[in-house]
Amino acid sequence: MPISRRNLFKAGIAAGTALSIPSVLRAQTMPTAARTVRMVKEDLRVFDPIWTATNITADHGMAIYDTLFALDSKFKPQPQMVGKWGVSDDKKTYTFELRDGLGWHDGTPVTAADCVASIRRWGQVAPGGQLLMEQARDISKKDDKTFTIALKEPLGLLIDILADLTPPCLFIMREKDASLSATEQVSTRIGSGPFKFNEALLRPGASYTYDRNEQYVPRKEAPDGFAGGKVVKVDRVVWDNISDQQTAFAALQAGEIEFLQHPPVDFFSVIESDPNLELPVLDRTGKDMLLRLNFLQKPFDNVKARQAMLHLIDQEAFMRVMVPDPKYVTTVTSIFGDETLVSNDENTGWYKKGGDPEKARQLFKEAGYAGEKVVILQSTDWAASNNGSQFLAAELRKIGVNAELAPSDWGGLTTRRANKGPVENGGWNMFITSEADYSLGNLLATPLLLANGDKAWYGWPKNDEYEALRAKWASVETLEERKALARKMQGIWWDFVGDVRLGKYIEPIAHRKTITGLIGMPQIVPMWNMQKTSA
Amino acid sequence: MAAYILRRLVSTVAVMAIVGIFIFLLLRLAPGDPAAIIAGRSATEEIIAGIREQLGLNDPMPVQFLRWVRDMLGGDFGTSIFAGRPVLELISQRLEPTLSLSILTMILAVTVGVSFGILAAWRTGGIVDRLLAAFSALGYSVPVFVSGYFLIYFFAIRTHWLPVQGYVPIDSGLGPWFVHLILPTVALSLAYIAFIARVTRASMLEVLSEDYMRTAAAKGASSYAMLFHHALKNAGVPILTVIGISFAYLIGGVVLTETVFNIPGIGRLVVDAINNRDYPIIQSVLILTSGLYVLVNLTIDLAYTLIDPRIRY
Repeated sequence: MPISRRNLFKAGIAAGTALSIPSVLRAQTMPTAARTVRMVKEDLRVFDPIWTATNITADHGMAIYDTLFALDSKFKPQPQMVGKWGVSDDKKTYTFELRDGLGWHDGTPVTAADCVASIRRWGQVAPGGQLLMEQARDISKKDDKTFTIALKEPLGLLIDILADLTPPCLFIMREKDASLSATEQVSTRIGSGPFKFNEALLRPGASYTYDRNEQYVPRKEAPDGFAGGKVVKVDRVVWDNISDQQTAFAALQAGEIEFLQHPPVDFFSVIESDPNLELPVLDRTGKDMLLRLNFLQKPFDNVKARQAMLHLIDQEAFMRVMVPDPKYVTTVTSIFGDETLVSNDENTGWYKKGGDPEKARQLFKEAGYAGEKVVILQSTDWAASNNGSQFLAAELRKIGVNAELAPSDWGGLTTRRANKGPVENGGWNMFITSEADYSLGNLLATPLLLANGDKAWYGWPKNDEYEALRAKWASVETLEERKALARKMQGIWWDFVGDVRLGKYIEPIAHRKTITGLIGMPQIVPMWNMQKTSA
Repeated sequence: MAAYILRRLVSTVAVMAIVGIFIFLLLRLAPGDPAAIIAGRSATEEIIAGIREQLGLNDPMPVQFLRWVRDMLGGDFGTSIFAGRPVLELISQRLEPTLSLSILTMILAVTVGVSFGILAAWRTGGIVDRLLAAFSALGYSVPVFVSGYFLIYFFAIRTHWLPVQGYVPIDSGLGPWFVHLILPTVALSLAYIAFIARVTRASMLEVLSEDYMRTAAAKGASSYAMLFHHALKNAGVPILTVIGISFAYLIGGVVLTETVFNIPGIGRLVVDAINNRDYPIIQSVLILTSGLYVLVNLTIDLAYTLIDPRIRY
């Protein structure tokens, strides 16, 4: 055939048609856009919710896996996969029976053996799980639907530990997956939860697709927090990873996505004035910002210097640096968070609106501070740390402290924070971090409230009197007893200053008004119960 | 010619080897721990240590290096620490968006840039020449995140004519694929149009002032013949060089555009990998990109022989 303009034109049309055929075929099997919700969260870098303790992976876990127990909106544990359960008279043996209708996404039934293996794997890494494994005499299956946990001593918090939502949460995995070590990543994504992970549409770093699990049998109760019936009301949910915040917001405005988990603070007023958008707070407990001090090196090896930091911080000013809208920030003085069941005001006389720089200067002097360099690890890819560290350095310099910023990305900070040596040898003196307010109310979930020296979290605070009280936490039976214990512990903590609180931030999410039924809980946004109406 | 090509291919392997050693050392000596990033912000040292051991990051550096070289020589570029998938699979997923954006950008930039350059050279000091000077200043000085957001605002948010972001694979339909690439292509090509137009103008001006051009004009050659048969052919070598280098640069240098328009390409893959310290991805992409640079340069050198018969290897 001669190459003519006409033939070339015909060939072009034919090629275009041929390339379009796959999309036509695919369109016939795809859920409609009206039944698909597109969400922008963080990038889902890791899929195994036990291997990592990040919130986004726990979010993924909540979609495709199920849990034995789940917290309701009042943070009370309720049975989820468990149908019936009971405890022996001596309170040492718990028996759990799985409810009917539980099945894996590969079509096989969920068994008690899966649950036992999952508890053992989770028990290697979760603080609550580690305590359970220490206290457990035996964890074994009785039959396909029943398993028991036999304890050496009664553990009043056992059900709370199993239901806790601080990552890594106890997600039930298939026995063959859960048999891997907790430090080895599970490579399959087969759960028994209300959503199935769509492997064919996986684009690592770009998008993650979840389809409704049509075989899932929800509980009969109404949804309440993570508890109750997980009824999925859309066919598909796609998590798009849009790394640029401004682009993500533009996509929300244009209706290309329906949900934005971390809307930029600068756009709050624009969102509030847009008739198509809403800016609700789903996680009312928020995040506490903390300052970790290195107990092993000068000047913070001296309690007076640590107390100086407590008096220096002006929480309102600090949080203004982070979030200009005061509606979303508050001060926090309890080590157990601002709104947990054990939050209290014991020994909080150090708090003064606006801070007390003069007292801080005096305390540094009493600590024998002689102008040595104070290194602040600054994570430049995390706005809170980036801005907060600069503000902190400026405040320290005002009272004569030789503060020096050590900027790096978060990856670099994680390496340097492990260095216990002096600053001359690459060590550090302080860095900013955060923890969910909810998690701070549960000593068995957060490592940030440990004070056992070398075994404690970065900064390595040490106080034996506090640790002796902490050891009693799990065995205390009633909430009133726990509250009393919390007061005593907080009294000691603020005397030796285990860390310094910088304030609390409640982050709203943004979504189009076409989305309804979102469930508000700390850290994780469940995708069941969510509905999409026409625009 | 064959000996020349062989020599250049051997040098490509040498370049890739040097880049490999350099990148491996740089990554291992730079601060950052993938295990700590995997474990999460509040993870304990004990958990991080367990993950590090499992990933083989505690092995001595020479052991890690030899393992990597051995695997790569066997065609195994490793597995992403985070995604748990073969690196080559991840790269191949990201190659299509980057190549699509790069090719469309080059088509637009060459078509508009060369045309602008020829017109400006033909009528030096005229309106087209002045417009080109103004456009070049704009194209060079406006970064892609400014032009990108500007385009998004007008053509996606205000008018809803085009999508804000995202990429649709070509096998999902030519129409959606093209529509999603219009804004990023325009935003990215501005600087390249300015660059290619300036180089074309300068090369053409130089050739147009040659004696043989005056002779052609004296012999009554038409403007078309003078510009395209005589001038452009002789001005082609520097233009081709610029186009080739631009294309090679585009493959690895479209990070900002991919970020602004949320295109899951090679640039974003590398940036995410650097943030996560996903060593196998960073190493593989940089090695392959260095090889690509050398091969593109080789192709340009060979293409010189097509437009200038005096060049022989």
